[in-house]
Amino acid sequence: MTHTLHRIGTADGLSGDYVILCMRAAGINDVGSDAKLQEFLRIATDHDPKNIGSVRMNMFSHKPAEVIANAHSIAHAVFDNQQAVTQVLRELKQADLGLSIVVSGVLDSVNECCQQAGLKRHTVEFSLGIWGMTDKLPSNEVLEVTTMCGHAMVSPKLVESMVADIRKGAKNPDGAAKELASHCCCGVFNPARAARLLAEMAGPDINP
Amino acid sequence: MRIDEDSCIACGLCVPYCPMGAINMDDIATIDEDECIDCGVCLRAKVCPVDAFIYEPAPWPRSLRAVFSDPTTEHKETTVTGRGTEEMKTNDVTGRFKRGWVGIGIELGRPGVGARFRDVDKVAQAMARSGARFEPNSPVTLLMEDVGAGKLRDDVLDEKVLSAIIECGFPIEKIRIALTALKEVAQDVDTVFSVDCISVAEPDGSLPVDKILSELEISRYINGKTNVGLGRPLAEGERR
Repeated sequence: MTHTLHRIGTADGLSGDYVILCMRAAGINDVGSDAKLQEFLRIATDHDPKNIGSVRMNMFSHKPAEVIANAHSIAHAVFDNQQAVTQVLRELKQADLGLSIVVSGVLDSVNECCQQAGLKRHTVEFSLGIWGMTDKLPSNEVLEVTTMCGHAMVSPKLVESMVADIRKGAKNPDGAAKELASHCCCGVFNPARAARLLAEMAGPDINP
Repeated sequence: MRIDEDSCIACGLCVPYCPMGAINMDDIATIDEDECIDCGVCLRAKVCPVDAFIYEPAPWPRSLRAVFSDPTTEHKETTVTGRGTEEMKTNDVTGRFKRGWVGIGIELGRPGVGARFRDVDKVAQAMARSGARFEPNSPVTLLMEDVGAGKLRDDVLDEKVLSAIIECGFPIEKIRIALTALKEVAQDVDTVFSVDCISVAEPDGSLPVDKILSELEISRYINGKTNVGLGRPLAEGERR
């Protein structure tokens, strides 16, 4: 499950895209872990997350309280700025939940967040990109949106359809982004970033 | 997944939702069964005004399509939940990856293209020849009839899934051989794959594999995943 890795984007776009995930290690610290996952999500929700989720729920398919109440095995929270990530890490360090915490995002920025929160990185996972028959891929601008759902539940054609609806005035970028976010089962899709990307794709006259 | 032909009203609303582009519109909407990976997006989207989508769990080996493609489905055959394992996410606790060791994840079909297990088999065998140690709990490893050779069982090879992850590891001194072999086999698959590289940070925070990647002229994204070491109990050898 590398569902938050391989997010495609520019340095500028990715500077507003962080996912913090909290996970129990099966057979080691899973006893009572659901309550700790719920606490993780409660801490996250104090810092204006753009999305939260667990295995089968996100805050656009369910109410946030339902997501928190049903957290199981892994939980995620999406943020659009480094300051929120740092503050959540500080509070998680203090809460000492004992579950593993992983931050997905621009590695140098995440390292800064760790240092400011008094943490040291333990293990790092790099993305070495996409190999093989890359001519089968949709455009890069579509991939910037679709790769925010690592399980690929957001289809390229749906992104293009949303862009067409925005151009026609049938949808606005924010609403379209939230609709896309609802299909990402575990809530790692960043609708704030998606709204900006959809607006850019729709044309210069569209504001996110 | 199939569409009830007596119910479909040919509105076409479902077509853009399919990640594989497997829904075709003619007089009515139909699903190309061979391309469909049973991910369930069309059904969960609840976009069909007449509820024409019908999903019945498929028998082996087609059952693999849903378990590898639908994140809400559990791996009944492999007894593992999800496409992959906890990999580095819980490494502070499990110690799955140690210093001097590099984890490589090769996710065939990602992003959004899909892959046949025939291509997964091809890449897994290339990694086995390079000295890979396959993650024993990975759903792909559990489909191997010969783990030493990276050989998948024949009855699964034609099945298509949204993605499947080969999870393996190498001593850091062998990573050059492995990534060179991966570059070669990339020319021989009918899909894409996303590659990840996992390593434990040195006490000073540095990552020795970064230098090797530069020497091999393999670029990495500026973004990635960082385990911040808050899990407890810490893995053996990591206690401080």
